[in-house]
Amino acid sequence: MDDEKNCTGPLIIALQYNDLFDLDSMSASTNTDDALPKGRAVTFIKAVQIVNERLVEQKETESLLFEVILIAKECSEEIKMKIVESVKYYGLEIGKFFFCKKEELINTLQSNKVKLFLSTDRDDVCEALHTGIPAALLYDQCDDHVLKVIISGDSIGFTEDSLDSLSDFGFSETQIETFKAAKICMKEFAVLIGQMRRRFGRENSPLCICVLTAWGSTNVCASALKTLRGWGLDVDEAFCLAGAPCSPILAVVKPHILWDCGLHNMRDLATQS
Amino acid sequence: MSLDPVQVMKRQDSLPKACPTASNGDSKASWDDSKDIHENVGSTKKPKPGPVRRARKVEGGIFFPKPENAVTIAVSSRVLFHTEIEQKVFEQKGIEEYLRYQVEHENEPFAPGPAFPLVKALETVNCHLRELYPESEELFDIVLVTYNHANVGIRLINTINYHNLFIERFCMTGGSSPIGYLKALHTNLYLSADTEKVQEALAEGIAAATMFMSEKQTEVSETQLRVAFDGDAVLFSDESERIFKAHGLDKFFEHERENENTLLDHGPLKGFLEVLGKIQKKFYAKGQRLHCPIRTYLVTSRSAASSGIRALKTLRAWGLETDEALFLAGAPKGPMLEKIRPHIYFDDQMFHVEGAVEMGAIAAHVPYGIAQKYPHKKSSNTGK
Repeated sequence: MDDEKNCTGPLIIALQYNDLFDLDSMSASTNTDDALPKGRAVTFIKAVQIVNERLVEQKETESLLFEVILIAKECSEEIKMKIVESVKYYGLEIGKFFFCKKEELINTLQSNKVKLFLSTDRDDVCEALHTGIPAALLYDQCDDHVLKVIISGDSIGFTEDSLDSLSDFGFSETQIETFKAAKICMKEFAVLIGQMRRRFGRENSPLCICVLTAWGSTNVCASALKTLRGWGLDVDEAFCLAGAPCSPILAVVKPHILWDCGLHNMRDLATQS
Repeated sequence: MSLDPVQVMKRQDSLPKACPTASNGDSKASWDDSKDIHENVGSTKKPKPGPVRRARKVEGGIFFPKPENAVTIAVSSRVLFHTEIEQKVFEQKGIEEYLRYQVEHENEPFAPGPAFPLVKALETVNCHLRELYPESEELFDIVLVTYNHANVGIRLINTINYHNLFIERFCMTGGSSPIGYLKALHTNLYLSADTEKVQEALAEGIAAATMFMSEKQTEVSETQLRVAFDGDAVLFSDESERIFKAHGLDKFFEHERENENTLLDHGPLKGFLEVLGKIQKKFYAKGQRLHCPIRTYLVTSRSAASSGIRALKTLRAWGLETDEALFLAGAPKGPMLEKIRPHIYFDDQMFHVEGAVEMGAIAAHVPYGIAQKYPHKKSSNTGK
């Protein structure tokens, strides 16, 4: 399979600075000369850097690499400085910085051809999805050796019509719309990550793709797997839960990226910060 | 918007004879509604089922039984199905070739494996439970937990559909350890072909056993689930076994006599017998003791007159019972198992398991306790 033709890298991922640094844990006594305390996204970036290293090891001129850009809404000049310094301090490879107003977030994402917007804020993720920007949750992962991505089997495996029928089961209109939006957005990301995944073998891969079907039946999951395969993405792990709570399973998988689409039991994920 | 009926019928040869044909009239559409026998349509496959389980609404949510309420039985793909050929491909040619082979044969369903009759029997029991307790989540929930990569998932799902199994939950771990997932799903029993994984599960306090494919397969009941247990090092701890191995038969008898009124410590499968007992009581509560679709057996080398007493007293003190207790006083277990025809028999000694499997019984090895360090010498009958 000639991947060269398909490749339209780099795979640009956008993060917000408040996920990169944990500003809440700063107190008055924090020495202002210190770097900002690390947030959840630091482990993610480290894992991404490892994938990039391995890709370049295999092919020096590889163009399908991850590129991380950082967005900061409503920042004082002081904080802007600290952000840039702290990024350097931790050795994080950030391609570009964007300092913008709150309302400009979506525009910034769109104009930079972001292939994935990652956030710990579910509302931000939903808003982005509704405007057609691929977005997913940055989850509470531990591992920085393997980058784990969970794709929603429900979103891909359900047909449009069956998604509508979910209202019978207590999902709101908005939630179902988020679903449908995610279904469309996911494809480009899936194609790119699939190509990247294929650069590595089954074993010892620094990238691991999983499919989680929280509500759909095994046939929905099979449909998702086949669709993904058709897009060139061979999945490593698959989970089908038929309504069982997700968090215990997520606690074992420990993903970095979770395509959630709000379909998971909201009570369940509320415990994740 | 209506969802497609989930299933038309099971294949004729696996039709549970006592299962009701009418729906239970519950307007909340239980899962089994459309197992309505639309008179033998003759199809052997499920028509394409609806995309979402038509599960009952419980407490405002949609839940197939919550793992903590159900009796969760996790099986690996190698014990649920017969995958010997694929296993060889993996061992001889490596993982990439193995995955390629699986994808190539994706539309060929696997044949049943050693745990298959057990799974079918569990589904029969579920059928009865739903009829008697339509709102209850205390059911058997069978989950496929496999080491396999998701690539193989499509073939496994095709096979599940082909055999009309009601398995809606699975974890394909793509090579990572399944133990974390077993715990996350509140697994009550884990069956695998891999002894190491079974030992890991046992170490985490999960009842587990290794199953083997046998050449000969005797028929088992389709209407009654039968589960048989060895006593020492399975239901009970291996403390008495240790005395026997270290000091011989006489010392064993002496020890048992002296300690007759001391309870034995519990073994790895005590918890599983306990949950089976809970489900049995649900049938008794509806006046079904005589026709209970679950029957449990204790099959022990202990003898009734002496060392067996301690075993019985222990069970009674735990509030547990087995429907039948067979004290063999050292006689071989094969013939007894041949009479019982359990869907699964748990024993800690490979020697007994192999013997049972040779005779066509479905046996599972519990790699626990002192017997693992002392492989049995095929000597004369050793009465206990």
